[in-house]
Amino acid sequence: MNALATLWIVMCKELRDIARDRRTLALTLLLGPLLLPAIILGMGAMAEKKARTQIKKELEVPTIGVERAPNLVAFLATQGIRAVPAPEDLDQAIRDQQVEVGMHISGNFAEDWRAGRPALVEVVVDTTQRDSSIPQARLQGALRAYGSQVGTLRLLARGVDASVVQAISPGVRDVATAEAKRGRVLAVILPYFLILTAFLGGAALMLDATAGERERQSLEPLLATPAARGAIVSGKIAAACVLGLVTLLLSLLAIKLSSQIATGVARQMDVSMLSIARMLFVLLPMLLIGTSLLTLLAASAKSLKEAQSHMTWLMLLPMVPSMMLMVNPVKTQLWQFAVPFLGQNQMLLRVIRGEQVSLQEWGVYLGCSLGLALVLWVAAVMRYRQEKLAIST
Amino acid sequence: MIIAHDLHKSFKTRAGVVQAVSGVGFEARDGQITGLLGPNGAGKTTTLRMLYTLMQPDSGHIEVDGIDPARDPMAVRRALGVLPDARGVYKRLTARENIAYFARLHGLSTSVAAERIARLSAALDMDEILDRQTEGFSQGQRTKTAIARALVHDPRNVILDEPTNGLDVMTTRAMRQFLFRLRDEGRCVILSSHIMQEVAALCDRIVIIARGQVVASGSAEELRAQTGESSLEDAFVKVIGSGEGLQA
Repeated sequence: MNALATLWIVMCKELRDIARDRRTLALTLLLGPLLLPAIILGMGAMAEKKARTQIKKELEVPTIGVERAPNLVAFLATQGIRAVPAPEDLDQAIRDQQVEVGMHISGNFAEDWRAGRPALVEVVVDTTQRDSSIPQARLQGALRAYGSQVGTLRLLARGVDASVVQAISPGVRDVATAEAKRGRVLAVILPYFLILTAFLGGAALMLDATAGERERQSLEPLLATPAARGAIVSGKIAAACVLGLVTLLLSLLAIKLSSQIATGVARQMDVSMLSIARMLFVLLPMLLIGTSLLTLLAASAKSLKEAQSHMTWLMLLPMVPSMMLMVNPVKTQLWQFAVPFLGQNQMLLRVIRGEQVSLQEWGVYLGCSLGLALVLWVAAVMRYRQEKLAIST
Repeated sequence: MIIAHDLHKSFKTRAGVVQAVSGVGFEARDGQITGLLGPNGAGKTTTLRMLYTLMQPDSGHIEVDGIDPARDPMAVRRALGVLPDARGVYKRLTARENIAYFARLHGLSTSVAAERIARLSAALDMDEILDRQTEGFSQGQRTKTAIARALVHDPRNVILDEPTNGLDVMTTRAMRQFLFRLRDEGRCVILSSHIMQEVAALCDRIVIIARGQVVASGSAEELRAQTGESSLEDAFVKVIGSGEGLQA
């Protein structure tokens, strides 16, 4: 009997087998497609909320002794900060998170001011409360600006150029938009999720069909049939690939849908049907690599439990290149397309951003990833040819 | 027709090299049931695994209908129906689907497979369970499914490893009738067992294996004559050296 027919028979049987296991199937197929939109939409909403606080919305600052420094209060008002009389116990109100940031103008303020001594103004804040950092920075900035403005005027009144006390003038200009920052996070998470889905999308089926089959003692009769071992392994791998591909397709459709609902950078992500097809094509070698590697590991494991314990490090594996890039960012170079996971990462980013991939990059990428898949596949087939494998007890 | 010539097989384990089979040879003729009898751990399963091509002998050779498995394992697998020691079935598939899967792997067309399944199901009296998922099957129901699966391609030679293991009395009786039927159809049937009564009741020829070697072989009559014992049980014990590991 020809090998392709065997492959087809084995694949159909494995798919039918997992189709009967509804819960496993549902978890495999739906987890990614539900999680991804949640992350995209959730991060979008969070970033927008943060941005809204950062816009110069009027900041109300409960102040002790608001009447002691009318000029300061008037200046703050021009910066969008409104000093209002404080509640009785300001510290407690801040601790209770009723007030983000407060101010205390000291009793000697007017006296010190007139005498030209530094007049004490305290910013009251609970630093363990993360939400307070932005209002605190705004208030401190405004106070510093007022202090240096008045100081400058005082020097001028004494005939001194104020700039002599300012040896250098440091300043930071962040040209990144809030959207770009969010895009950066997405650029890390999205390829990781897609690569992980491709890499381990068929894991449930694969572990069950290899280590599980051995443990349930149905492997020995299977290997006693005239079906070629290579075709049996390939059929199992093919079934896992089909399952992984369906999961990927569902995930990508979910991304398309959620990026249409979302605002900002998620909208800019190119998720036309053409790029979905392109991403699937990019991830195809990863499916083969993942399922072949799992077959090899699971077939070498003594039990299903041992095989499953491989999942922990396998899940971290696709993250390694992304993490390395975060710590040590390098420009895209040709060699990166040859490295498993990194290559997928770079290719996906290109497609997500709608950038061109040169013929050379395609060549290196497909050559290396399909090559690795082939090596793992051969290793898995060899493993199935060993006589030790068949013996389950 | 299956002939084994002086088979040897050893395994490397952590404790060292274990010589599982060291000189097993016998001839199993068509239209006969040949029984391998021996205590647990005597090398019966390893011998059978070499016969059905799952293991390669270290030395010695095998002929199945004149074909050497070392040279053409595929042809031998096609000529054999095997009920291994491991008789796991796919529990999410029905009995029929389990059998049909193996029929397809043997290259049978869907219609031929359906016809064979119907015949085997009638012979094994498993019509009732045929379309149930095998999850929760009793030992007997699982064994029936495994036997039907092993015989679906209508092989000339049938190898069964402890076929009545774990079966109740009624199922065992039915199983014996089924084995006689296979014999009467002219097939070569080899089975292994550690149960003396079973081998005595079923087999035309008995091969007694102990510590990886054949210690005696022949029909029940011949064995009695060889040992000079009047009961078969005493004959067994005499050739094996002790009754340990055997079951009356």
